[in-house]
Amino acid sequence: MTSKRPWWGTVLMYVALAAFLLFLGFPLLWLLSASFKSTSELNSLAVNLIPAEWDFSNYTSALERQNLITAAGNSLLVSIATMVITVLLSMPMAYALARLKGKLRATGTIWILTSQVFPSILIIIPLFLVLRSINLNDTLFGLILVYVTFTLPFTLWMLQGYVAAIPAELEEAGEMDGATRITILRTIILPLLAPGLVATAMFTFVSAWNEFFLALVLLQSPELYTLPIALRSFLGAEGQTQLGPLAAGAILATIPSLIIFSILQKKLTGGMLAGAVKG
Amino acid sequence: MKSNRGIGAIALASVAILSLAGCTQGSANNGGESEDGAVTLQFQSLSDQPATQEAVKAIVDEWNTDNPDVQVEIVQAGWDGAFDKLITQFTGGTAPDIIHFEASSIVSFGTDGYLADLTDLIDDELKSDISEGIWESVTQDDQIIAYPSTLQSYMAFANADLLEAAGVEVPTGDTMTWDELQEIAKATTTGGTYGLGWGLASPTATMMSLGLGFDGGYFDGSGADATIEVGENELAVPERIHEMAYTDKSIEPTSLTQSGSDVLASFYGGKVAMTVQGSFQATNIANDAPDGFNWVALPPLEGSEGAVQAANPQTYSVNIDSEYVEESADFLNFFMSADNLAAVAYADALIPSSESARTEVEKLAADNPAWTQVLASGEGLVGPPFLKVEKYTEWKDTIATPAFQQYLADQITSEQLAKQLTDGWADIAG
Repeated sequence: MTSKRPWWGTVLMYVALAAFLLFLGFPLLWLLSASFKSTSELNSLAVNLIPAEWDFSNYTSALERQNLITAAGNSLLVSIATMVITVLLSMPMAYALARLKGKLRATGTIWILTSQVFPSILIIIPLFLVLRSINLNDTLFGLILVYVTFTLPFTLWMLQGYVAAIPAELEEAGEMDGATRITILRTIILPLLAPGLVATAMFTFVSAWNEFFLALVLLQSPELYTLPIALRSFLGAEGQTQLGPLAAGAILATIPSLIIFSILQKKLTGGMLAGAVKG
Repeated sequence: MKSNRGIGAIALASVAILSLAGCTQGSANNGGESEDGAVTLQFQSLSDQPATQEAVKAIVDEWNTDNPDVQVEIVQAGWDGAFDKLITQFTGGTAPDIIHFEASSIVSFGTDGYLADLTDLIDDELKSDISEGIWESVTQDDQIIAYPSTLQSYMAFANADLLEAAGVEVPTGDTMTWDELQEIAKATTTGGTYGLGWGLASPTATMMSLGLGFDGGYFDGSGADATIEVGENELAVPERIHEMAYTDKSIEPTSLTQSGSDVLASFYGGKVAMTVQGSFQATNIANDAPDGFNWVALPPLEGSEGAVQAANPQTYSVNIDSEYVEESADFLNFFMSADNLAAVAYADALIPSSESARTEVEKLAADNPAWTQVLASGEGLVGPPFLKVEKYTEWKDTIATPAFQQYLADQITSEQLAKQLTDGWADIAG
């Protein structure tokens, strides 16, 4: 039983969507505009979205000066690895958390919530000492392990909500057909969990991609710096900001994450459960 | 199943990436001695301007060529988060041999015993070439814990055309009094233009520095036992700024909430006739001002005690746990030689700490008249009391900055400001 939407409703909906898109996209648009402006134009009081003169020197300056390409590679490596490990680890754990009953589940829940209480600055020195004792400080692998540790509790919490939303009747139906637990997980749960996994993957990727403080403290070699560290070097000692190169660097920094998102977003649809269970 | 391919590809790539990450180790390994007996010193540099980085690299390259047995490796880092990074490095025992920072920020490292005593390692010639006041800023418990390299002062820059249009003569004396600044600001405030733009979003450093011109030192004593007094002298600068903003209405109100760099756009755009900035902005203004922009650097600001400001120099310290403290000091003696320090200071548009380096900078900056005033403002730099205070940074960030901001926003009176600053220190000092 569907009712046809009136034409003006459709128009209104698209206008609202366009306005919302503009609202969300304007900062990025302004950043793009700033990245093509000359220093003198950036220092002027003129407020114009289209640069008076298109200046590409900010991009060459950004690329030449701060090893942005290397930093982008490091960020990509760390973010993707963190994303994959976290998702792989949290998937079975989230299933157990959502489906199992008993003390272990309660303990797990308490552990997850407790681990979110501590700010990173509180544990950075012990963390640094632990990594140093296993020769993993100043390595990207060490940073990945730290990121996984920090993101895992939240992703676990997030993903178990998705698992809980999958009707148990589907699993029961599988069992009645003689499917093992593994088969049920692989053929029933996993496809239905895909949107949740994608959302979790996106969250993990963005968290690792944007993280600054842990990378700052744990990485000491310039060739291992991630993008946030490289971009911060455009900020000087006395609050000086090299706005043009910083804007150009920030634009370049968004490209890899846009590509990742464009790959993943197709999977981000919650409609797969529609009609799975008849009421 | 097409949509699964992307995810599959990412997963596959990740396996390769992980293998790669496992092999990726940095080169920062705390220096050390190589097989041929050559020593490598790690030098963590925070220099952020391209020209300064080049100047530092040229100095290091020259040293490395002349000293095959003691090689210096630059580890480039940034100012942002430098304190957190260093405290972790010191605690974890991975701090570099040579540390670049600033005087007010190394106080706690010195107190905690992380920095080597350089008193007997500094060249005598260099010692006598730098004023007592500046050495004082890097001395703790009678130990010199850093080489003071470059400094900044606060100075006023003016749009000469706007001053002329208002019938005001550009001050040309050795110094300029606050009364003169106030008068010029009033005279140049017209319909669409304010006399002064002053970026005071982070006001504490400015207040503490310029306050010394009125003998407003705020603190007495050192370490954890320091006491605070906020009296007439300490309030002289904030009250004067407040008066200009709210009685004279000659300060552009928005500028009080901006950073110094943000105000430059209003200065270039003719919206403010003058702006008070860090002296390093002289070079930025020379580079970035619109063509034909007629600007001048005004003489150093003089309070009741003279044109005195706080010396909070950038510093080079040596890690006390370094196996090569003497070699590190040898390199720093070379780094601080007149030519080298002048090159770094000129690239960074800062005032070098030594007299001979200032003479060299004068030659380098012969075509930029603003540098004359910049260097003149460096003459009155003295070690401020706050550099001896152990919890100054905490007080500055949590008490002073919000209190000054409220006062400059006209939300509290000067008496309330004094009370907040005093009570806040009592809370922090315990």
